[in-house]
Amino acid sequence: MKPLNLLALLLFIGGVVWALTRSERSVRAIQQAYLSVMSPFIRSGAGTDSAARLFLRETRHSRELETELAFLRPELGRLGFYEQRCRELEQENAQLREALDFKKNSKFEVIAARVTRRYPSPHSQTVEIDAGTRRGVRPQMPVLSSEGLVGRIESVAPDGEHASVLLLSDEKCQVPAWVQGSSEEGILTGQRGFSGDPMLRLRFLTTQAAVRPGQRVYTSGRGGVFPADVSLGEIQSVEKGALDSEALVRPSVNFPDLGAVFVVLSAAQSPK
Amino acid sequence: MIRYIVITLLLLPAASAVQQLLPVIGPLHGARLLIVPLVFLCCAVTVDLPVMLLLAFCAGFLWDAQAVVLPPMESAMASVSLPESLPFGASMPLFALSGALMQGVQPLFRRGNWRISALLTGVVLLVHLAMEFAVLSFLRGGFHLPRATFLQMTSSAGITMLLSPLCFVLLFRIAAACDHPLHPAAGRRRTRVN
Repeated sequence: MKPLNLLALLLFIGGVVWALTRSERSVRAIQQAYLSVMSPFIRSGAGTDSAARLFLRETRHSRELETELAFLRPELGRLGFYEQRCRELEQENAQLREALDFKKNSKFEVIAARVTRRYPSPHSQTVEIDAGTRRGVRPQMPVLSSEGLVGRIESVAPDGEHASVLLLSDEKCQVPAWVQGSSEEGILTGQRGFSGDPMLRLRFLTTQAAVRPGQRVYTSGRGGVFPADVSLGEIQSVEKGALDSEALVRPSVNFPDLGAVFVVLSAAQSPK
Repeated sequence: MIRYIVITLLLLPAASAVQQLLPVIGPLHGARLLIVPLVFLCCAVTVDLPVMLLLAFCAGFLWDAQAVVLPPMESAMASVSLPESLPFGASMPLFALSGALMQGVQPLFRRGNWRISALLTGVVLLVHLAMEFAVLSFLRGGFHLPRATFLQMTSSAGITMLLSPLCFVLLFRIAAACDHPLHPAAGRRRTRVN
């Protein structure tokens, strides 16, 4: 070993022995001096440390939130479905209550039925109901709702459980009608290809018809198919022609939301 | 050369100050970047034995001044028994041993192959931490190395090793500024070829 290295080793060992034999008081003084010099760095380091901890906690927290979100998303979808179902049931309940009231107060002998299907054809406005021949339903019977006339039975299913209803909004469904507050009578029909909110047409009014928007239109009972004085709608506008006049009528029944209906089995006919 | 030695000596307190600023890396088993040992190990391979021992003394001094746990002064707290920590000055021989290990690859370093030294930094740092743990276990009685401690030691050594190339680059710059060639063998070889 080189003499310089040996000397350095001996000095190092001496230094280590000196350090190891320091009293507690001396060590405390050394530590205090060290800490007083390093205190600005220690303070900054504490800030960095807490910032790093906060960042990691936030990261962990956001990961936990992500997991929770992934878990809750399908749950939310499921609850949304239940809520929708609840609303439907609530609506159905309200309709059935209304129907019950209607049936109690009705002057006709009626049976209640539910609309089970809508035929999607743009050329015919028909729906299917869950009442058929077994419950006494026959073709041509009028169908009502609590709001007014819905249409008439077009056909009954062979199973006896269902029937098809031709809606008032179909042009094939022609109803003798009269206008409230006037002596005007005409034929109310639907319009071909009318989608969405259907409008009806009251034809064969006289050229001098004293009708105006806002007047209500009712069944006249002529022809014996539909009972008299059932609400049909409200006049929106009047078009005067050379030979006759026509009026555009907004129907009383909300056809897109049709739920419960009533088939009139027998009615006291009293034509207007 | 004197200037280079003085600067490396000053690098140790600077590293000690930087050490205070660095947070614990929680996700890596609570690992820490051990800047003081890193600077010491990198410097140790660039200098001769006497200077390495001087650096070991200074690094151990600073390390212990920071890490030694003394019992509380208050009499009310006198009965509280703290776990035994390394006595002040105990790190100095450990640093010297680690420095000696680093000097083992000094011939390669002098030939310009500093990458081996950079890799060795991590290994020696792990050995250094293991020695520290062994001495502590000896003082406290009973050797038990929990998995968490082992992972913390290896992670600390690993991430600190990743910084060693930066430390060597810094030392090369300082050496160039001080006109102190760190690779004399490489220089001689080039001269001989010419």
